[in-house]
Formats: sequence, C-alpha cells, structure tokens
Amino acid sequence: MFKPGYIVKVGIGIACIIPILLLFMLSLSKNWVYPNFFPGQVSWQNWKELFTPGNSITLSLLTSLSIALFVAIFSTVGGFVTSQLIAYHAYRKKLLFLAYLPFVLSPVILAVCLKFYFIKMNLAGTTIGVILAQLIIAFPYSIIFFIGFWNQQIKQFQAMVNTLGGNNLYAFKKIIFPLSKPFLLVCFFQSFLISWFEYGLTSVIGYGKVQTLTIKVYQFLVEANIFYAALSCCILILPPVLLLWMNKKFIFREVSDRVAD
Amino acid sequence: MQVRAINIAAYLLLFVFAVLPLAAGFGYAFMYSIGLTGALQTGLTFEHWQKLFTDDHVLGSFGYSAMIALFSLLLSVSAALFVSLKYPRSFSKGLLSYLIYLPLAFPAMVAAFFFFQFMSKAGILSRIFYRLHITSAIEQFPDLVNDKYGIAMIVTHFFLSFPFFILLFINLYKTERIKEYILLAESLGASKVQSAFKIVVPMLLQKSLHNIILYFIFIFGAYEIPVLLGRSNPEMVSVLAVRKLQRFNLLDIPQGYAIAILYSVFVFALILIMMRKRKLAYDV
Repeated sequence: MFKPGYIVKVGIGIACIIPILLLFMLSLSKNWVYPNFFPGQVSWQNWKELFTPGNSITLSLLTSLSIALFVAIFSTVGGFVTSQLIAYHAYRKKLLFLAYLPFVLSPVILAVCLKFYFIKMNLAGTTIGVILAQLIIAFPYSIIFFIGFWNQQIKQFQAMVNTLGGNNLYAFKKIIFPLSKPFLLVCFFQSFLISWFEYGLTSVIGYGKVQTLTIKVYQFLVEANIFYAALSCCILILPPVLLLWMNKKFIFREVSDRVAD
Repeated sequence: MQVRAINIAAYLLLFVFAVLPLAAGFGYAFMYSIGLTGALQTGLTFEHWQKLFTDDHVLGSFGYSAMIALFSLLLSVSAALFVSLKYPRSFSKGLLSYLIYLPLAFPAMVAAFFFFQFMSKAGILSRIFYRLHITSAIEQFPDLVNDKYGIAMIVTHFFLSFPFFILLFINLYKTERIKEYILLAESLGASKVQSAFKIVVPMLLQKSLHNIILYFIFIFGAYEIPVLLGRSNPEMVSVLAVRKLQRFNLLDIPQGYAIAILYSVFVFALILIMMRKRKLAYDV
C-alpha cells in the first residue's frame, strides 16, 4: 500500500517529533502510573508554577540565560580576533591544534583536572567560575569556527584597502565586518548553545550551587521527579528549537563551514 | 600600535583560555598520578600507572567506550549515507527539512532523559508492549536501559548524530557537485550501484572524515548519556574517571587522574591525525 521510501520518511519524521511530544506531555502531568499510556492528571499547573515568585526552575532559566549570553558574546568577539591572528600566522596549524584540545576533551574530565585551581582561586561554586570554565570550551570553538572565514580572498580585500590608502580600521569597518556579520551571528548562536547545553563543567566547577537548567534536570531525575524534569527539558529545548525553525539556513551555512574547515 | 595591542590581547586570550588550563590541569593531574602532589603524596611512584595497565576494569572501560562510539557512528553514518543518497530532496524542502533539525536542539542530558522514559522497564515502549499483550508484567520487558550492551546509549547517540550526518552529507552532495560526477560515470558506462559505491560513498566519507573523527571523540568522552543510561560495569571512560575522582575513597584519586591523562593522550593522538589531513581555508 505504502512505498518503502514513504515509510522511511514518515518514520524519520515521527522519530524527530515524538521526543518533544512525550516531554511536553510529561511536563503537563502529575502522575503516570504503569501500564497507563497517558498520564492520569493533565493540567497547566506545572507551567503556571513557573510564574510564581522565586520558582527554582525560573531562577535556573535566568541563570542559564545570563551565563549563556555572557559566554556567547565574549567567545564570539574573542574568537573572531584570535582566529585572524592564527589564520595568518606561519604556525597556524600548530596554534589551531592548541585551540582544538580544550574543545574536544570531555568537559567533565577537563573540569575535574581544573577543580583544584578553581578552589584555590575561590571560584568554585560561583557564577563567575562557571562562566570562566565554560569559556575554556566555547572560546576555542569560536576560533575553530572562524578559521574557515579567514581565507585568501579576505586577506586580499584587506590588502587592497591598504593599497588604496585606507587603514586597518577602515578595512575592518567597510569590508571585513559586513562580510563577517552572518558568521558572527552563527557563532554567537552556537556558542550560546554550547553554554546552554553544558553540564559536565558546570556540575563540577559549580559544585551544584550554580543551578543552570541542565543541573536542574539531573537534580529532578535524582529526586525521581520526572514531571519537573520534563518541564525543565521543555524549557531547555525551546530556545534552540526556535532558533532552528526561525532560520535553518544559518545551520546549513554552519555545516558547510565545518566541511570547508 | 593599535594592531599590536589587539594582537597581544589575542595571544593572551589564547594562552588564558586554551593553553594555560590544559597545561595547569593536566600538569596537576600528572603530578598527582605519580605521587608528587595532593593529600596522599608519597614521593615519586609509578604504582598507580602500573595498576592502570594491569587493571582489566580500566582497560575494559577504554575498549567499551571505543566500541560504543564505533558502533553508534557505524549505524548513524551508514543510515545517513543511505537516506541522504536515496532521498536527497526530501531533506531540502518540505516538512521533513524542518523536522530533521529537531534532534539537533536536544542537549545530551535531555536526550538521555527522553530515552530513559522511552526504553526503561516502565517506559513508553514497555507500556506499548503491555497494551499489545506482548508482555503481561513490567518485569517481562527486557533491560534496554543500564544494560551491558549499552543499547540505550547507542540509540541515544544515534538519535543525536543521525540528523547531523544527513544534513552534512546532503550539503556535501551539493557543494562537491557529486551529481555531476555521477552523470560523468554513468555516461562512461557505470551502473547506479557502481557510481554509488565507487564514487559517491568514498567521496562523502573522505570529505567528512574530519567530522567523523570529531564525533568519535565526543561519543568516546561523553558523560551525561552514560551516567544516566549506562551501568557501572562495564562503564564509559568519563564516568569511570569522575567516579574515581569525586567519590569518597581518597586512594582512588591518583588512579582517577592517571585515567584522565591516558584519555587525553588518546584524544591528542586522534586530533594530531585529523590535523595532518586537514587543510585550512587560508591554505586552499
């Protein structure tokens, strides 16, 4: 009746959407007894509680948001500047290797090795400590991301401006910045998501005191409170889903950049 | 003058956020593992390293992590190759082109939580089996979560990596003008199967090797997914290292640091291999 291709495509579509539906269903529930397929009590109660003053999930949301924004801005700007230096350097491969290492290592292993220093500097268990720790993976990511941007063409544009009498600031304002705008935006989104999704570094360096949303999900799971865990999960995936749906072409470009790298 | 200040700032940033944390963190870890620092320092000793290479649990953990990463990637890369070559247009236009992005919005923690609720004994799958009278009690449903084969872990990694590889291959298919190579091969008499296996698949794999190695490293060192869906024996490397370093037995700490160093050396070697094959945009 149905062609195999149709079944494969429908199957992939369902597999992509079911996790969101299940998490949303659980976030609306208060109990879900085996073997019932649907939860017993369904209401907006859990969601309404988000708007009560001092709600712990709302506070975690604000903590995650502020940390992710700071990490994204700093790593995007810092990565952009540093990547240019690396891209045009005679030892660019060796310098890029240095940037790759912290980015690819397991964040939680990196965190346990660095915990000693964060304790010594009184940064363990503080928001600033978590921001600094997350920058250790987000900043190298930005460098790796922007390396693909600094090609021969950009260098030649800059040289042309200099030849025609323009200084480096002028070349940046009129040529490099307009060309790099979409890259900066994608890098900002990606760095934001690195921080937004981060768990390993935050749990070790934050000591459980800096309660971001990912920490909250784990905490609810340990407490066996799957309904609040599902609610936190829904809030966690909401910004990335919105970003992806609003402009999927950014991600296409990001993927092609990774390939170009 | 301004340019020089910016350059100095850039070098400083690279040093502070990339070089220093690694040097300091792994320097401390190495010193701890050979007994030269920490609460239990005994003077120079290689006892913890010797234990590491004679302990089946540690070596098994490295092997187990590699197997989980290899198997997850084998499944997702081959499935993504098949789907992106068979239905390339479905993921460029229409509803599926949006839906395929949804798994990319999942943090590892959320994906692990979902698959726990989906595949555990009291999860959705078990409830469906009960409703269909395939099982008649909760304990009849097989252990798919926290099992020794890491089924739930592999499924979760597959869920996260499959859309990424589909999008990557579809994008490569366009940018590398693979369609034109296929036309050329077919005009020279190659069959569809020959052009797929002799041209398309090798080209896509070669162009995406860098991403495949990176993904292998990420799955190999994953923490959130194994901590929720894995078990304590065998266990993934990150979980083993953190368990040795964060629990209350102080005697385990030097070995925990030795595991962290060994893991890092393995990752450094993989990155070195990857960097050798890589050309930067400026060099092209």
